[in-house]
Amino acid sequence: MARRPETAGRGGGGVPPREDGSRPWGGPANPPAPLWIALQLPQLALEAFAATLPPQRQGLPLALLDGARLAAVDPLAAAAGLQPGMKRATAVALAPRTVFGQADAAREAQARQAVAHAALAFTPSVALHGRDGVLLEVSTTQRAFGGLPRLIEQLQAATAPLGLSCRLATAPTATGAAILACWPKLAIPLIGEHTHRLQALKELIDDAPVSLLPHAAGHIESLQAMGLSTLAQLRAVPRDGLARRFGPQLLAEIDAAHGPVPEVHEWVTLPDRFEARLELFARADTAEQVLYGARLLLERLLAWARARRGRLRRLQLQMLHEPRHRHDDRTPERSTLEIALAEPGNDSAHVTTLLREHLARMPLPAPTLELRMVCHELAFSDAPSGELFPTRTSEREGLLRLVERLQARLGPQCVRRVQPVADHRPERSTLLLPIEPSSVRPQAGAAVAGTVATAAAAGIAGPSSPMLTRPVWLLPTPQPLVERRSVPWLEGRPLQVLAGPERIEAGWWDGEPVARDYFVAQAHDGSVVWIYRSRLPGGGEDPGPAAAGGWFLHGRFA
Amino acid sequence: MSRAGFDTCLRPPSRDVGKYRTVPFRPMDIAPAVPSRLPEPPDTAGPAGAAAARLPVEPERIHPGLWRGHQLGRAAGTVVPTGLAALDFELPGGGWPKQALTELLLRQAGVGEMRLLAPALAATARGDCGPSRSVMLFDPPAMPCAWAMAELGLEPQALIVVHGREGPRGAAVRHLLGAADVLWALEQALRSGYAGAIVAWLPERLRADALRRLQLAAQAHDGPVFLLRGIGERLKPSPAPLRLALHPAGPDGLTVQLLKRRGPARPQPLQLRLPPVSAFRRAVSVQAGLPPEDAGQDAAATCRAVVSDGPQA
Repeated sequence: MARRPETAGRGGGGVPPREDGSRPWGGPANPPAPLWIALQLPQLALEAFAATLPPQRQGLPLALLDGARLAAVDPLAAAAGLQPGMKRATAVALAPRTVFGQADAAREAQARQAVAHAALAFTPSVALHGRDGVLLEVSTTQRAFGGLPRLIEQLQAATAPLGLSCRLATAPTATGAAILACWPKLAIPLIGEHTHRLQALKELIDDAPVSLLPHAAGHIESLQAMGLSTLAQLRAVPRDGLARRFGPQLLAEIDAAHGPVPEVHEWVTLPDRFEARLELFARADTAEQVLYGARLLLERLLAWARARRGRLRRLQLQMLHEPRHRHDDRTPERSTLEIALAEPGNDSAHVTTLLREHLARMPLPAPTLELRMVCHELAFSDAPSGELFPTRTSEREGLLRLVERLQARLGPQCVRRVQPVADHRPERSTLLLPIEPSSVRPQAGAAVAGTVATAAAAGIAGPSSPMLTRPVWLLPTPQPLVERRSVPWLEGRPLQVLAGPERIEAGWWDGEPVARDYFVAQAHDGSVVWIYRSRLPGGGEDPGPAAAGGWFLHGRFA
Repeated sequence: MSRAGFDTCLRPPSRDVGKYRTVPFRPMDIAPAVPSRLPEPPDTAGPAGAAAARLPVEPERIHPGLWRGHQLGRAAGTVVPTGLAALDFELPGGGWPKQALTELLLRQAGVGEMRLLAPALAATARGDCGPSRSVMLFDPPAMPCAWAMAELGLEPQALIVVHGREGPRGAAVRHLLGAADVLWALEQALRSGYAGAIVAWLPERLRADALRRLQLAAQAHDGPVFLLRGIGERLKPSPAPLRLALHPAGPDGLTVQLLKRRGPARPQPLQLRLPPVSAFRRAVSVQAGLPPEDAGQDAAATCRAVVSDGPQA
């Protein structure tokens, strides 16, 4: 991820705002006072680990190890008596069903990055904070989302599918918002007087413990020995002495939390190409287990796509396989599943359905250890409008989705459209072609074009008095008929010839000539069939006892 | 068209005569049946008297799901006219039902079933009753001919043909796999609500719960659903509210037997006229049997035989 350092003093660049957050001179031309939302992910390490677990291990106590000691425990494990710092052997004795994992900084960074991507859909100013925090500056964009409460609702809805529990607080300064979000005793989400007024924020965070300041974490013992436990006490001691003992950064943090001093942030930027990986805790043998992990990657991908204001067009799921024990070169290192959406979209349920169908069809040569999802093709056109009542566009999209779902499971060659072809040979006059997205049109438009085709096809009869000149059902291969006393027989009964012949002689130019005399005949049960008598010996026709002059059944008038 | 309209205008008078007398009365109902002659105080009338007082309220007006044994029921939703007045008259609601299964039982494909369905399918594709939507054919018995469909008024662009997969193994397995695919695809199409009309050729030996699933799924589908099955299924129960048996009757006729409908039984079958096969007007049917000496000759001679023999037949 590329980051560019930038000064975040929006409005603080020139004239510093007043103590209460308002500007020295009001007016519409001024940028609004900064407004920060802090997202705190208190269980980030544990939840990033839990996402790699297979479904049957969900719901068990979790603990993260750092060496031989526990680094973090989830509430279930804490209820069983486990605590951070405990030895692993003790933990196993206390709760034998606990799942232990290793802390992985890269895994946590990916999970937090997904949250930052989800936040980027709401504002361009998103920064990372500490080990597990994300900061958003929303003063310029909150109106576009219908005000701060609505924006927070949408933000929570956007981060919810990522599977991370999240604490959220607002404040006029970034550090202040982060302190509020980290403060366990406060009710979350936190919107109130302090959201816009610096003075109210100062009163609120005066009681906050000093441990919430990131730079104070290394000096907790010294600070407590000096009797400094809250921010108010810290602010009361002489500044120069504080700077000498603990460095200037602690002072800068206190100032940043309380007042309008310029803050430096590294803004999160979006990569052009999405790539995420998920190392599975246990190897995935079935498609369903692969899908379980792929679903999380898909949610991260969608957060990225929404932040880029694009819709998915094509994505790739790579499954890295376990190498077999014996030296076997036939096992591929990875298998790749490529999914192209007929209509670009960001619907998680729809893409999940497609993934499931494709995975169910795909043979997996070996168990999967790691999943990767790659996407660099987005569609940036206007989003489809969400209409309440059905329109022609929504009808087309609905049908397209249905066709896509059917094709994902059955294959494109099983869901086809009917294409008439100008050829006299009946078996070549109709083509069944796989449906492409461009061929699905609103039916009203097709009907106008089709009426012309109908009139041209019927020739003799308009739509008001339909008449059949061709059978509805054409047999894929003509069925030879027995001939007795110069009459063709079908199913042991003679056929009654009703009309004919109609001579069709074509195809000499492409090597598949036919020369046939077609008759309409009635079977003994009253149904009407289409039969022909071949005039070519052998060539191009079914070879058989009655090759030349033989009768064949070719269609049924349904 | 409403069923009440049929009752008052179109039905022969014999059906309406004695409309209220055909309700089976219990003996205790007889006395208060004529409330004008035996006025009873309301407090002593009891339940029988109350029932008698409500008797002139026709049950079919209380709830759309109610009808009497001699009447035709109403369709649950809207219907699609069949294009054949004689058949419309016999169907509940006056057409093919939407949001419900319609079973057509026939001995084999090609008895005239598409000519029977074509007006309703074309109306759905054109959007005569609702938004114009496509017609989906599931596992048709043979290849549909685009030109014949166009002649029946069905635009080929509006058709979608869905087949089951062909498995790599033997024919028996392929059949099972294809059948499961068709049922799955059919259910998806019904649940999506974006398919217009659906015509499905169901596999044989279907499990009973498969049909019930389809009937449930059909309630989300705003259009007619036709299931074409073998005539052997006529004695087996089915959740479809409308079941017809089709028998061929000559080149442009069809015999329709109403096996099940929301209404009185109709033992005698319906004779319907279908769009004719075009050559019939000028060609005249000949009795089977061309001259034996014609056997090895050119087909042109056969043609002459057909035409020349025609007027004598």
